[in-house]
Order: sequence, then structure tokens, then C-alpha cells
Amino acid sequence: MNAAMMLLVISFAAPLLVLVAGTINARLVPHVAVLATALAAVVVGWSFWQPDAAIRWTWAEVYGLHFELRLDGLARLYALLAIGIGFLVVAYASRYMELHLHHGDRPASDHIRFFFFLLLFMAAMVGLVMAQDLILIFVFWDLTAIASFFLIGFDQHEEDSRSSAMMALVVTGVTAVLVLVGAMLLHHDYGTWSLPAIIEQGGIQDSAPWALLLIAIGALAKSAQVPLHFWLPRAMAAPTPVSAYLHSAAMVAAGVFLIGRFYPLMQQVDWLLDVFLVIGFASMLVGGILALTRNVLKQVLAYSTISQYGYVVFMFGMGGDYGIKGASFYVLAHAIVKSALFLTAGAVTEATGKKTLADIGGLRQTMPMLALGSGMAAAGLVALPLTIGFFKDELFFARAAQLGAPYMVMAVAGAALTFAYIFRFWTHIFLGREISPSQPISTWLVWPVVVLGLLTVLGGIWPAPFTHIAEAAASVSTNSPQKLHVEYVIAPIVENLMAISTWVFGFGIYWTRRRWWRVALGIAHLGEQLGPAHWYYRGLNGLNHLSDSIHSFEVRDLRSRVASILLPAGILVGLAVLVTPNANSFEIGPIQQSDFTLVIMLIAAVVSGLVVMTLRDHLRLAIGLSSVGYSLAGVYAFMSAPNVTLVAIVVETILSMFLIGMMVLMPRTILRFETEADSDRRSISRDAVIATVAGLLVFFVSWGALSRTSWNTEIIDSQTVLTPAVHGKNIVTVILADFRGFDTMGEITVITITLIGIISLLRSGRLR
Amino acid sequence: MPTRDSLQLTGGMLQMGARVLLVPGFIIAIAIMLKGYADIGDGFSAGVIAALVVIVQGLAFGAEELERIAVARLAPLLGFIGLGLAYALAFVPVLFGYPILTHFPRMNEHAEHFGPLEFITPVLFDVAVFLVVYGFCVGAMMAVSRAEVRHQRLIRRARQRAGSRGGDAV
Amino acid sequence: MTLVFSLAIAALFAVGAFLMLRRDLIRLIAGMIMIGNAANLFIMASALRRGRAAVLPGNGDEMADPLVQALVLTAIVISFATAAMALVIVYRVYTSHYSMDLTELSAAEEEQSERDEPESGDLVEQDIEEDIEEMPDDAKVGVLA
Repeated sequence: MNAAMMLLVISFAAPLLVLVAGTINARLVPHVAVLATALAAVVVGWSFWQPDAAIRWTWAEVYGLHFELRLDGLARLYALLAIGIGFLVVAYASRYMELHLHHGDRPASDHIRFFFFLLLFMAAMVGLVMAQDLILIFVFWDLTAIASFFLIGFDQHEEDSRSSAMMALVVTGVTAVLVLVGAMLLHHDYGTWSLPAIIEQGGIQDSAPWALLLIAIGALAKSAQVPLHFWLPRAMAAPTPVSAYLHSAAMVAAGVFLIGRFYPLMQQVDWLLDVFLVIGFASMLVGGILALTRNVLKQVLAYSTISQYGYVVFMFGMGGDYGIKGASFYVLAHAIVKSALFLTAGAVTEATGKKTLADIGGLRQTMPMLALGSGMAAAGLVALPLTIGFFKDELFFARAAQLGAPYMVMAVAGAALTFAYIFRFWTHIFLGREISPSQPISTWLVWPVVVLGLLTVLGGIWPAPFTHIAEAAASVSTNSPQKLHVEYVIAPIVENLMAISTWVFGFGIYWTRRRWWRVALGIAHLGEQLGPAHWYYRGLNGLNHLSDSIHSFEVRDLRSRVASILLPAGILVGLAVLVTPNANSFEIGPIQQSDFTLVIMLIAAVVSGLVVMTLRDHLRLAIGLSSVGYSLAGVYAFMSAPNVTLVAIVVETILSMFLIGMMVLMPRTILRFETEADSDRRSISRDAVIATVAGLLVFFVSWGALSRTSWNTEIIDSQTVLTPAVHGKNIVTVILADFRGFDTMGEITVITITLIGIISLLRSGRLR
Repeated sequence: MPTRDSLQLTGGMLQMGARVLLVPGFIIAIAIMLKGYADIGDGFSAGVIAALVVIVQGLAFGAEELERIAVARLAPLLGFIGLGLAYALAFVPVLFGYPILTHFPRMNEHAEHFGPLEFITPVLFDVAVFLVVYGFCVGAMMAVSRAEVRHQRLIRRARQRAGSRGGDAV
Repeated sequence: MTLVFSLAIAALFAVGAFLMLRRDLIRLIAGMIMIGNAANLFIMASALRRGRAAVLPGNGDEMADPLVQALVLTAIVISFATAAMALVIVYRVYTSHYSMDLTELSAAEEEQSERDEPESGDLVEQDIEEDIEEMPDDAKVGVLA
């Protein structure tokens, strides 16, 4: 069993284990979840000493589908994030969720749902990062969206949480369809579903740029990039561990992961990189400015995430060695520090009961360990020396400096904003005077933060392990081996100067906040009024109205509905008859002597049909209908279709029994009344005229069509030849069971559904 | 105008005929289905014929008799089993890398046979179609007849009520 | 023969269209069945070849087009199933909306149920009763409009 297989099995076993534990005792669930993720974390750590490993099973070979997974550098980076951070978050959640459920007076069984979907999400991430088959990528991609829907909407009794979950699902789910479309376009161009095979073929073909754009849109929406960023702040309605996990290390990271996965192709499309530049910079700015104006702890961090992933997308846009290596390194560093800050926010809220910056202050006294841990993480995010964050910005600046002054300005502007809001965030919580009293909290809410803080500092002192991970990931993204080495250079080089100016500017922004405060709030307000979220709601409302109005038109009454289908159909058919060149194409067709019986049966069918029209009594109507059916069965017999005749006769018999049975069942008064209501002379003549017109139309259409049947009998001939080869003699039956067996399957499915409908409709009791 | 006696006579004949026909009818239906690959007939016609045989029992002996015949009572279940069989035949080959609804033995391979009956999966597929069609026809008729029995009971009760109320008034 | 087939198809279709336009729901279903018949006949008539039954081994004569037969075969069963379903829906619509025959029944049933244990599964009566309560007065006397 290789490393890839181990990882996959453990990840997908974990949610199942949670379910099993849940059936025994719901209180067991958090412990099982911690143990399972700890085991997964050990395996993912061990996998770094293992060679690249692959799984490849074939399924549905005719469609070229493979269950193809590969544990490569890129997969290791993101699997480490998903599982490593996942372990710390689960550890934190094992205590946090208990308090959370306790506050809401909710049953312990809710633990099962929470940890199941959290671990399912983790498993989906692990699958996604290793998947190499385009369809498999889509499947895991959608699985993350579904799991995140349940996680964001975990507090299902709250309206806000439900609508947030729905928004996240709509935004990421609709764009996931774009990913699928992109995947299909790629398959069409390259003739394979396997991504490595596509990259190996090299080159960008016909529609590939568009396919890549569609995939990029899906990725950018998942990474909450402008203008599809609005779901992320709303998704903060989720419990804190979910926010910490999904919105620092997992779900949003999946977006940039996808870009990294397709980057060998994307880097060949220049305009796509420009799109990344624009969107990345816009997200940096919008996220940064809005983060400055937010007051709720988790909202600050949510906009910060938008802005930070803006950096990563920007770096992908800048490209080049530094850009790609920087992007990978950035994701790693950011996931560590941001999850620490999210967990801090949760712990602070748990201790004080407050959620906004204004209500919280001076917590360094009562929570020194938390202050230290989150302080290290915050220092990492603002890129102070001796933290891993310093190098992430260093690489960012290095690539910007290579590209020239405009890029340098943009990079410094983005980084300065980050400095300002994180400075505000941390100092407001931990410095100053105490505003609300805090209660002591469980150490399980603190130690994950401290571990993440220590990791941040470790990365600043000994960056080698982190750079190794990033360079392996970058090698996959660029499809060429990369080396990444970072160190402190104490000299006035351009990166250092940019870093120093970032701190100065950032502090300046914070210091002068009273001057621009109103302006920033105004921008935020304007964004709410006119931004994409506003259009999302309008679009949703519009769709609702549209479906309501169609519905109310359709259900108004039955005759209007029948008319609304038949009339347009008739007009379309009539137009088709008019535009088709019909001159001289009608043929009468030869009538042989042997057709005599056939003609007689046809006449019988038509005559009994006309008689049916005049019948008033329902019982006679049923009998008339069956006589039409029997006549047609006779027609089929004389057309040498014994199979059809057999079925037609028996079906007609049963149908007449069914009709008569139903007539007996129907209240007699109704039948009488309906008959009388229909004998109004005016309506009869009106309907007769319409029916005659319809009949004439059908006459021309069918005469025209039957006069020009296809001359190509290839299909029939091949079916005739193939029938003995597939062990049959009766060609009709062989067509039904073999050549067109799939049609037959659809038909028996319809029949079964109909049976369910009939039985449930005829059961006693009202339909509910 | 048939007399009461003549009605009883024809009813008796119908009952006898129906009972006599039951087993041969089923045999014919199954033969039509199994031979369908080589001769006239298939799952569809076999299904409706078998259903007809059962429904005639209901006509001759009344709805209660149908409830006693297991193959009639369980008709919907048989239909679902048939659908499940068809799906299994369609999707199990996919698991082994074949296209949907691949039949075995494959084309031009040798098929074992027992008399005219060949052991090939299309015959199983026809069995599935047979079960679904039979289940539908009998199941739907049973549903109607059950509704009818209920309906008759209602009317009877209402008449009793009306009768007793009328008596009170007078 | 083409002309004859087209005439027959058109006649059956016209009858079906006429029945479908009636307000009587049962006639609507009869119209559905009729149009289904017309469609089946059309498919049969569009056979590329006519000849003897399509069963092997052949004796050299031309065989009838088996494909249209297979299509019609399933179409017949399907149209039977949908017609049956539609009939049951109509029954349900009538009994739950305009059940005049059952008006008396439910009144009687009300008294009955006061004495008897309500039979399990026999809820139709009570439902109808509720429906009648909800009906406007003119509907109660039996005007369907």
C-alpha cells in the first residue's frame, strides 16, 4: 500500500469512523475525530519521506475514465495544510463545539453531524489535491462544496446561517459547473481526461484558453476573489472552527490549488495571467480596505483572507520562478497564521462573550498565552522578521521588483493595508485597557493557537523545511524542477526597503485612521449597495419571481395549459411546413392487391375513431376507444409485425378493463354532469373546427414526411446481420433487449414510476 | 334479458374457464418470453399476457380472490424486482469496465443452451421487462379493485344510514 | 399507400384533438390515447421497408423494418401506462374536488364514525368531509364551475 493509498483510505475512513462512534455514543465522537485526524497527520508527515505515489484504477473504460490519483509535491503541500491544520482545528473543536452546543441547548448528537462533515470535507480536500483525472477533480471539487454547505449552515435554526450556506453553495456550486464545462472542453481538445497526459501533449489548442478561463473562474470563486468574494464574509455565520478551517487552510485554498494544478497550461495563456493580475490586485485592495472598516472579529479576518488570497492570485499572475514559488510558500505561511488568528477570535469570544473589536480590549493580562501565540501569528501575517511571514513577503516583493515600479507600488500598497488591519486587530484585542471581563477558558482552546504561533516563528528561524515543501509544489505547478532558498540579507536591497516602507506606511494608515475612516466606510457602504452581493440578491429574487409567474400562469386552468402547449406546437409545425420546399414531393404511393386488408383495417380504425367522437356515455366511450385499438392491432398484423400485434391486443384488453373499472369507480353524477356540460352546441362546433385544422396540419406533415423516408437502410441491414451474432433470431426482440436496450430500460423505469403513482393515488386517505 | 339462472350459469362457466386457464396461461406467457429471442414474442407481450390471465381470475372470482393469489398480491413487488434486475444488468458491467448494458456472452462467443433456451443475459433482461410489465398491469388493476371495494363499502353504509334515518322520520 | 396512411393518421389525430379540447377530463384522456394511436401508426408507416415478419432465418423475401416495430412496441406499453396514470389522477381530482355523490356518504359517515371505531386506512370519507367544509356554498349544491 503506497502513501497515496494510505492517505486516501485514512481520510475517507475518518468520517465513517465518526458515524460508527456516533451510533455508540455521541460523546465519543470528538475524541474519535481527534484520534483519526492525528493518525492522518502522522501519515501525511510520513509521506514526505516517501517517493511520489500513484493510484490508477480503470472504470468505465469506454469513456476513458480512470480513478487516477497521484501524491506529488503540490498534493503534499495542500494535503499537509488540509490534514495538519485540520488536526489542530479538530482538537480545538473537540472542546469548542461542546461549549457551542451547550450555549444553544442542542443535543450532543449534533456532534456527529459536525465532525462527520468536517472530516468529509478534509477527505474531499485530500482527494481533490491528489486527483489527476479531470472528472475526478470535479467530483472532489463538488464534494468540498457540499460538505462546506452543511458546515456553514451547521446552526440550521438560524436563518442567517441557512442563507449564508445557501449563498456559499450557489456561488461555489454554480462556478463548479464552469469547472466541469472547462474539463469537458479540455477533453474535447486533447482527447483525454488525464491532466498529466494533457500537460505532456503540451501546447494550447483551439478552445483550451476558454476552458482554462472557465476553470479559473471556478477557482477564483472558491478562493473568494473579487467580484465573487461576497459569500466568504457571510459564511462567517459558521461556528469558529469551521471558519478557521474552511477559510484559511481548506476551502479557499482549494481555489488557488486548482490554479496551481492547471498552471502548466495556464501560464501559456498570457491574457489569463493578466486576468489574475487584475483580480488579484482588486481583491487585495477591496479586502484590505473593507477589513479596516469591519468591527466584528471574524469579519476582519474574512476580508483579510480575501485580500491575502488576492496576493496569491496576483503572484500567479506575475508568474516567473519567484512568483510561483512565492505563491506556494505564501499559501503555506498564510494558512498557518490565519488559522491561528481565527482560532484566537473564537477563543476570545468564548472567554468574553463579545464579538466586536469595540467590546474587547486588554486581554493580555488574563490570557497571556493566547496573546503570545496569536501575537506570533499576527507578526507572521504582517511579515515581521524572524517569522515565516517575512519570507512570504520577501518573495512577493522580489518578483514585483523584477517586473518594475508599478508592480512594486501595488505590492507595497497591498502589504501596507495588511499591516494596518492586523495591527488594529491584535492591538485592540490584547492591548489597552480591559473593556469586558473574561472568564478562564479550556487550554484546548489555547494550545492549538500557541502551536501555530510557534510554527510561525520556527519558519522564520529555520525556513528550510517550509521552502522544501513549497519548491516541490512549485515544481509541479511549473512542470519543471524548482529550487527555493531564502535567507536574511542585512543590507539595503530593494526587498528590504520595500518591507520597511510597508511597515511605515501600514503604521501610518493605522495612525491616521480617524481621517479616512468615514471615506472607507462610505466605500464599504457603496459596495454593499451596488456591489456583487446586491446583484446576487436581485438575481435570486428575479428568478423567484420568474418561476412564480410561470407557475401561476401554468396552473390557472387545465384548458389554458393544454392550449399553451398545443397552440405554439401547432404554429411551429405550420411554419416548418411552410418553409420546407414541398413542391412535387408528395407521393401517393403504390397500393398493391395485398394491401387491401390493410386498408380495410385502417378504415375500421378511422370509422370507430369518428364514432368515439359522437359517443356521450362514458362506458361506450371506453368501448369505442378499445375498438380503435383493436383495429390498429389488425393494421399492425397486416404490416407483418406479429410482436406489436400481440402486445397491442393484450394491452388494449387490459386498458379497456382499466377504463371500465375506473368508470365504475367514478361518481356517477360527475360523469353525467360532465357529459351534459360538454353538449353545448357552440363549443362543439368551435372545437370541431380547431380539430379539423389540426388534422389537416397533421395530414400535410405526415404525408410530406412519409413521402420522403430515408433511403439509407444501413442500420436495419446491420441489425439484421448482427442479430445471429448476438444469439438471437427475432430481430425486434434483439433490438429491444440489446441494440436499444438502454431505451427499454428508460421505458420500464417510467412504467415503474407510473405504477408507484397509481398505487399511491388510489390508496385511501388524502394526498399530503 | 338474461335470467338469474343464465347469469349464474355463465358465471360458473367463466369461473371454470378462468381456473382452467390460469396455469397454462402462465406457461404460455413464460414460453413466449423465453423463446422471444428466437421466435415471436418478448418480455412485453409475455408480461401483458400473464397479467391478463391473473386479471381474468379477478373478474371471475371477485377481488377477494386476487388477494389470495400470491403472484397477484405481490405484483408491484415483482415489478420493482424486475426493475432492479434490469439496472443490475445495465450497471454491473460498468464496474468491470464494459459499457452500460453489455450483454454476455459477447458477440460471436459461444452460448450454452438447453433445448431452444439459451443462457444469455438478454433473456434475463427480457425477464426483467416481463416482471415490470406484469407488475404494472396487475398492480394497477389491483389498486383500482381495492379502491372499488372500499367505495362499495361506503355506499352500503350510507344506504344503511339513510334507511335507518328514513325509518326514524316516519 | 402513403396517402392512405396519412389520411388515417390525420383522422385519428383530429379525433384526438377534438376530444382533448372537451372540458370533460375523461374525454381529455381519451384524446391523449387517440393521439398516441395516431403517433404509433405514423411510426409504423414510416418503415423503410415492408415485407414479411422480421424473424430469422429468412427465406430470401424482404423483411419488414424491425426498428419501427421495436419503437412502437414500447410506445404502446408506455402510452398505456401514462393513460392509466392520467385516469387515476382524474379520479383523484374528481373525488377530492367535486364529490357530489359522496356528499351524502360523508354526512352518513360522520354519524357512523361517532359510534364505530374509525377503520384504519378509511380516511377518504373524513377527507371528503373536510373538503366539503372548505367548499363555497354553490359548489356544495353541485354546481361545477
